[in-house]
Amino acid sequence: MEQLTEILRRLHDAKVEFSLIGGFASRHYGVTLVTEDVDICTRFTPENLRRIETAFKDFHPRHRLTTNKLPLELTDELCQRLKSMYLTTDLGILDCLGEVAGVGNIDAVLRQSNLRDFPFGQCYVLKIDALMQAKQAVGRPHDLITIAQLKAIKEKMNNRELYFNP
Amino acid sequence: MIDEATLAQMNGEYVMPPDAGPAWREAFARGIDMSLIEENLKRSPWERLLANDSALALIRAMGEAKAVFDGTAH
Repeated sequence: MEQLTEILRRLHDAKVEFSLIGGFASRHYGVTLVTEDVDICTRFTPENLRRIETAFKDFHPRHRLTTNKLPLELTDELCQRLKSMYLTTDLGILDCLGEVAGVGNIDAVLRQSNLRDFPFGQCYVLKIDALMQAKQAVGRPHDLITIAQLKAIKEKMNNRELYFNP
Repeated sequence: MIDEATLAQMNGEYVMPPDAGPAWREAFARGIDMSLIEENLKRSPWERLLANDSALALIRAMGEAKAVFDGTAH
């Protein structure tokens, strides 16, 4: 059974350098749309990629966009050449991006992220304004609905001055 | 005796909260169910992610049930 929250916990526990982006980050802020994957922006260094591989080695990670859904088996050459990884695992889909449209590479993304508290520890999450920029850059119909919700949520949270750090 | 305003709410009329700003009103005007967002904001961020897991499990279960009904289940 899919457990996207477990994907997040495993990334944290494996000390993967990443920031949560996309639909799951939007859900974190309060968007109501259900998402079917975890999207992260991560650093594409051999060390970091191998942490991802280790984190999911017991959950049959595969490159979900390859014709035969090739298993994730990193080599030195592959680590040098990969710019993104679209994985399916027993826990659900994990898309790892080296850069985010509308925001930039991992360094730019981390500058536009905040550390947020989770039951297992802290993870970076893309700030709500940058998340809207990223959604705008992609611009699919559901991205535009997400932007409308994020704008409303940001406005409400600012008005109420509740726990929120956009 | 139920007044008309309460009856309208019972029938699904959304009452704009007093602190609703322009972005909130615009989202509502675009057809987004703002009452669901209000409920979601009462949860912690982690609870929102867990709710996504639950919703996803329900979607998968419904898909499997449909496949059984259609005779296409593996």
